[in-house]
Amino acid sequence: MSINRKRKENQETARTSVTAAPRPLTFWEQYRRKPQGMLGLAIVLVYVLVAIFAPLIAPYDPLSDLYLADSVAAPAWLGKVSSKYRDLPPTMRLDIGYGEWEIDQAEETVVSAWPQAANEGVEIVIPAKETAAKEEQTTQSSTTAWTSSFQWDPFGLSSGAKKADEKTAPAADSQKDAEASAVLQHAFEYNYKTPQTFSSSFEYSIDAPGDATTALSLDMVTPSGDVYHLWEDKVRGSVNLKRALVDTRDFDLKQRLGISFFDDPTALVFAERGDYTLRLTADAESASGPVTIRMRPVKFGILGKVHGLLGTDHLGSDIWSQLVYGTRIALAIGLSAAFIAVVIGTTVGLIAGYFGGIVDEVLMRIVDIMLAIPSMPVLIILGALFGKSIVNVVALLALFSWMGIARIVRAQTLSLKERTFVEAAKASGAASGYIILSHILPNTVPLIFANLVLRIPSAILTEASLSFLGLGDPRVPTWGKILQNARQFGGFTKLAWWWLIPPGLALTFLSLAFVFIGNAVNEILNPRYRERS
Amino acid sequence: MGFRSYLLKRVLYAILVLFVILTFNFVLFRLMPGDPEKMIIDPNFTAEAKMELRRQYGLDEPLFKQYINYLSSLLRFDMGLSFNTRRPVWSELKERLPNTIVLFAATFIGTATVGISLGVYAAANRDKFAEKFVVGSGLFAYAVPGFFIQLLLLLLFGYYWPILPIHGTMSAPPPEGTFAILLDRIWHLILPAGSNVLIGFGSWALYTRNTMLEALSQDYVVTARAKGIHRRGILYHHALRSVLPPIITLIFMSLPGAVSGAVITESIFSWHGVGRYLLDATLKMDYPAAQGAFYLIALAVIVSNLLADVAYGLVDPRIRVGAGGQS
Repeated sequence: MSINRKRKENQETARTSVTAAPRPLTFWEQYRRKPQGMLGLAIVLVYVLVAIFAPLIAPYDPLSDLYLADSVAAPAWLGKVSSKYRDLPPTMRLDIGYGEWEIDQAEETVVSAWPQAANEGVEIVIPAKETAAKEEQTTQSSTTAWTSSFQWDPFGLSSGAKKADEKTAPAADSQKDAEASAVLQHAFEYNYKTPQTFSSSFEYSIDAPGDATTALSLDMVTPSGDVYHLWEDKVRGSVNLKRALVDTRDFDLKQRLGISFFDDPTALVFAERGDYTLRLTADAESASGPVTIRMRPVKFGILGKVHGLLGTDHLGSDIWSQLVYGTRIALAIGLSAAFIAVVIGTTVGLIAGYFGGIVDEVLMRIVDIMLAIPSMPVLIILGALFGKSIVNVVALLALFSWMGIARIVRAQTLSLKERTFVEAAKASGAASGYIILSHILPNTVPLIFANLVLRIPSAILTEASLSFLGLGDPRVPTWGKILQNARQFGGFTKLAWWWLIPPGLALTFLSLAFVFIGNAVNEILNPRYRERS
Repeated sequence: MGFRSYLLKRVLYAILVLFVILTFNFVLFRLMPGDPEKMIIDPNFTAEAKMELRRQYGLDEPLFKQYINYLSSLLRFDMGLSFNTRRPVWSELKERLPNTIVLFAATFIGTATVGISLGVYAAANRDKFAEKFVVGSGLFAYAVPGFFIQLLLLLLFGYYWPILPIHGTMSAPPPEGTFAILLDRIWHLILPAGSNVLIGFGSWALYTRNTMLEALSQDYVVTARAKGIHRRGILYHHALRSVLPPIITLIFMSLPGAVSGAVITESIFSWHGVGRYLLDATLKMDYPAAQGAFYLIALAVIVSNLLADVAYGLVDPRIRVGAGGQS
C-alpha cells in the first residue's frame, strides 16, 4: 500500500517535471550553446561593422587616392621591425608659399606675398636696370641659353659641358647670390635612405616689357654643399601662365644633371642625409620697365617607400583602405548572390515538388543540365562577354548556384505534400498558391536558411576567383582584385607579402565564419547531420 | 529496370546535355556585344578581302546554316581558326591537352592517395589528433580560397626561397636526355600539383572518414568484432572493402570540379594547358579559341559525369531502380 502510494507519487513528480521542463528550446537558445556557431557569428559581426564604418576606418579612398606613396611601398611599421625597411622615406610633400621661403633679395627688388595671404604665392618685382651694355650682353647670352634649354638633345651632347658647369657651381655660389635679384630658399631635413622618385612643380606668370629677359631657376643644395640644377627657364617679355615641372623620370632632368637615360637622379641628388635646401633664383634684365614675377607655392614631393598600415599597390593606392572597402563588396556580393540563388532555387523546388508530373520532370531536367555545366568556365566566358560589372557577376553567380537548393526544397516539399495538414487544406478547397505559401513554404524555411548561410561563402569565393582571373569589375575594389593586382604588378618580385596575405586572410576568415554558422545551424535543424560529423 | 537501360538512359542524357551546352555556346558567341567581324577585319581592308575573310570564318551564311555548320564541325573537332594566331584551334588545343592531363593526373593521384589514407587512418584512430586534423583539413578545403593557397606557395617557394620553378611546364631550353627531361617535367609539376593536393585532400579525407565510420558501425562489423577478428583485419577487410565503391564514385564525381579548378591553377602557374588557353582566349575576345576550349572542357565534364553515373549504377543497384522509378 505504502509502496504503491510512493510509486504513484513518483509518477506524479515525474509527470510534473516532464510537463514543466520541456518548453522546446528556441532556435537562438540552441544556437547560443554552440561555441563554433558563436565564433562564426562574432567574426561576421566584425566584418559587418568594418563594412558599415568603412569610411571611418579607411583613411583614403581605395580608387581615387593614387600616388599616396611610391608604387609598392612597404607598410610603415615594418621599418621598426626589419632592418631591410629601416629608414626608408615616407611620403613627403612640401607646399612652399611665401611664409616658408627664406628670402634674400637685391636692394631694389621687392618680394611680397601674392595674393596677400602668407601661405600663398610670391610676387617678385624687379625694377628696370639702366646699364644698357650689360643688358645687351645678357640678352645675347640668355637667348642662347633659352634656345639650349629648350632644345631636344636626346644624345646628351651638351650634358658634359653642363656637368662641368655644375661642378664649379658651389664655388661660384656666393657670387651668384649677389648677382641675382631674388633668391628664395627653403631648407628641409631628410634623414632617410635614397628615395625612388622626387618631383617639383609650380605655376608662374611674368609681366614684363617686351625687351626684358627673365631667368628663373630651381636648384637643390645638398647637405655637403653640392648644387644640382633641377630646372631653369629664360623668358623674353611676358608669359601668361606657365608650369614648371621637375620629375626624376623625365629625360630632361637626367640630361640637365648629366646622367644617362638609365641612371636615377635620386641616387645623385638624395645620396646623403641631412639638411637640404631648395633654392629658387629669379633674375631679370629690363631696360624699359619693372619685371613682375608671380608664382604659386612651389610643390616639392618625395614619394615614400613606406606607407600606412599595409603599404601601397602599384598605383600608390592605400592597400588598407582597399581591404576595408573590399569588406563591403564581399558581404554585398555574398549576401545578394546567395539570396537570389535561394529565391530561384526555392521557387523552382516548391513548384516542382508540389505540382509533380511533367512540371517536375521538366524543371528537374533543367536542374540536372545546369548541374552538368562546368560552372567556372561558363562564368569566365559569360563574365567576359556581358561586361565586367558587379551586377553581372552577382547575377551570374546566382544563376549557377540555385540548383542544389531547388533539389533540397523539392525533396522537402514532396514529403510535406503528403502530410495531413496539407491534405486537410486541399480538402477544404484551398488554392495551390495558398497552400504552397502558407503551409509548405514556412516548413521549408529552416532548411532554406541553412542553405543560404552556406551559399554565402561559396559566392564570395567564386567572385574572388573571378576577380582574381581579371574578370571582376575594374571600378570596384574587391579582395580578388587586390590579389590580382599583387600578382600582375610586381607583388611577387618585390616579395610584398603585405599586399598578398591580408586580402587572402580576409577571404579565409569570412568564409570560415559562414561555414561555422552554417554547420551550427545545420546541426540544430538537421539532427541527422550531427551523427555524420 | 536493368542496368543496360539505365546505361542507355544516362548516355542519352549526356548527349542531351552536350547538345544544350553546344547550343548555348553557339548562341552565346553570336549574341556577344563585340561583333566577331570587327575583331579580325581591319577597316582598311578592301571589300573583297573582307568578303573573303567572312567566307573563311563562315560569317556570310544565314544563322541557322551557321548553327548546323558549327555543330557538324565541332563533332569533327574542327573548331575553326583562332582570331589571334590564325592557326587551327584544335591543333593549339592538342598541344596543350597533354599538359593539362598530366597536371590533372598528378593532382588526382596525390589527392586521392593522401586523402583516402588519411581518412582511413582517422577512422581507425577515433578521437585522437588524426581525427581532429582530418576534420580541420576538410573545413580548410571548403573555406580557404584555393588560389590564395597557391599564391602563398608561389610566393614562398618561387620567390622568397626560389627553389622551385614558378611557371611553365618545362625549362627553356629543355635539358639533354630523356631522363633529364622527365625529371625537369616533374620538377615543374611539384608546385602546381602539390598545391592542388594541399587544397583538395581535406574533403577526400573527410568523406573517406565519414563513410568508414558509417561502415564500422554496421552490424557485420560488430559481428566480426564479436568473432574476435583483429581490429586491423576488420578495418581493412570488412570496412575498407565496403567503403571503396562510394570512394570510386567520388573519384568520378570530383572530375568536373577539378576541371573548373584547372583554369585557376593553370593561370597562376602559367601552365601551358587548356584551362589557361580558355581564360586567355576569353580575355582577348578570341571567340573560336574560347569556344573550342570550352567545348573540350564541357566534353570532359560530361564524360566524367557519365562515368560517375555508370560507376554509381554499378556500385549501388538502388540508384538504377530509383532512376527507373522516377521517370
